[in-house]
Amino acid sequence: MYSYIARRLAFGALTVIGVSIMVFVIMRILPGDPLVAIFGMEGFTKLTEAQRAAYMRDLGLSDPLWVQYLAWAKSIVQGDWGHSFFRAESVADMLMRRGPITAEIALLSVIISWLVGIPVAIVSALKPNTAADSAARFLSILFLAVPGFWVGMLIVLGLLFWFGYRAPLTGSSLFADPMANFELVIGPAVVLGLGQAAYIARMGRSALLEVIREDYVRTARAKGLNGRLVIAWHALPNALLPVITLSGVLMGLVLAGSVPVERAFATPGLGFAMYIAVSERDIFVMQNLVFLYAAVFVALNIAIDVTIAFLDPRIRLR
Amino acid sequence: MTAITQPLAPSRLRTAWHGIASVFRRAPLSAFWGIVAALIVAMAVAAPAIAPYPPLKADFRAMQKPPSEKHWFGTDQVGRDTLSRVIHGSRTSLTVAFGAVLFGTTVGALWGLACGYFGGRFDMASQRAIEFLQSFPDLILAMAIAMALGGGLATVIVAIAITRIPFGGRVIRSVVLSLKEMQYVEAARGIGAGHARLMFRHILPQCVAPYLILATTHLGVAIVIEASLGFLGVGIPPPEPTWGNMLSDALNAGLVPPWWLVLFPGVAITLTVLAFNLLGDGIRDLLDPRLRGSV
Repeated sequence: MYSYIARRLAFGALTVIGVSIMVFVIMRILPGDPLVAIFGMEGFTKLTEAQRAAYMRDLGLSDPLWVQYLAWAKSIVQGDWGHSFFRAESVADMLMRRGPITAEIALLSVIISWLVGIPVAIVSALKPNTAADSAARFLSILFLAVPGFWVGMLIVLGLLFWFGYRAPLTGSSLFADPMANFELVIGPAVVLGLGQAAYIARMGRSALLEVIREDYVRTARAKGLNGRLVIAWHALPNALLPVITLSGVLMGLVLAGSVPVERAFATPGLGFAMYIAVSERDIFVMQNLVFLYAAVFVALNIAIDVTIAFLDPRIRLR
Repeated sequence: MTAITQPLAPSRLRTAWHGIASVFRRAPLSAFWGIVAALIVAMAVAAPAIAPYPPLKADFRAMQKPPSEKHWFGTDQVGRDTLSRVIHGSRTSLTVAFGAVLFGTTVGALWGLACGYFGGRFDMASQRAIEFLQSFPDLILAMAIAMALGGGLATVIVAIAITRIPFGGRVIRSVVLSLKEMQYVEAARGIGAGHARLMFRHILPQCVAPYLILATTHLGVAIVIEASLGFLGVGIPPPEPTWGNMLSDALNAGLVPPWWLVLFPGVAITLTVLAFNLLGDGIRDLLDPRLRGSV
């Protein structure tokens, strides 16, 4: 078990390094001239040669690329996440302020997706090809197609239209003001949760259908065990393994989806910060945020792999 | 001569007709959504002919008007007709989706073919690179690339295509790995066929079905990513109408966005994605009978 975890962590570290190189290539080398990326083509042409050289020197952009990369990697490791080009707040402070909100949304959305997806999967799998199953499958197909941010816009609009309600726009922490915080995160969490629930219901249904056919389930039934107990005690735990893995993959959907969804709800989370960085063409903030999102995604998937190995000896002992 | 060829023509037509009819009988749902998808493609192709108004024409006497007889889907802040903009939006949406999926899946598939065929160190390095690519949530990667390259149709296509490469690479590689061991490939190698001939003449044709399945299942994802990029302001810039930037504009219209500006572009995205997803499911069932009914 420990050797498995160690191996997984080593691979994870390698992946994070690879990801950082990829982020660096995308944000610093692809744009050609970073000053064009910052000022736009129009602004760039208005700068004089001397100004350009001064900016390049101040931003450390005139060093060789590998020096720039190492400097960036060093500052990331040291926790110095730099400054926005347009704002006074440092990125580290921004992470502290906005990060918890997005983390809450992500966690809550996973809980919602399980609370909705698993029961739907059980009903679907136990009574396949009935009206309930068809309805569940139709809803999951629908939710796979609807863009989350649009559902978010509709919810905001509907609440405003019929109830005159609008979620608070300012950030509030879970501990200082739990109610205001809940109002802030529940909307995005429901939208992202239902999006994941559609995948989980689909996967859970086919996993359960497969497990139910296994010999050991038939044995449990044959020895006279109550049908519900067989499902809850014998079938479900095995059917949930692929669902846990899927939940890890879906974290990508949550992390990425939180950006447009937070914009739709005007939630003051990290996703909204990324939207601002993109619309202001703030490449330094964007570079760090993209790296952070990818690193978190990698870490979450390692956590899921370790959890699966812990739950399933067949993987652990391989 | 004519006596032989003439009866052939109608019979071939009849076979085609039978094929289509049998698809309708066996999978009526997929066939229906296939028709919806075809109608959406037709709408995109014929956009200028169908749209009641030019999509960029402002009308200052009809600004932000709710749906009416003159403007079925209402008008936006500067009086542009929403229906016409939704119709024209389908053009960008489909161009980007088809372009990105075709480009991304093809590059991925060729890469996967090379990985599976040659194996060894090249394969090892490639698998790591693909892992790095997959470590990014796809929209985040697309956002970063689109922003770095600076917006516009071509950059959005490239950005979305790059996020599709790992899927093509993985799937085709595993297909090639099993094909490589088949006897007919061994036989061809025994006759003395070179690498290129083996790869492209003997192995590649077997990859067509998984390629088509992959491509169609990713169309829907590509449409959603394109809309999200437009919504976040890194897609195709306004005034060119796309469903994503229309939703973004609606949000910028004021504290309370007019409902018709929110509703219609979103319905367009949902219907299109739904149609392509279900069509993809149908194509998968048709081409890969082993998977039929599994999901």
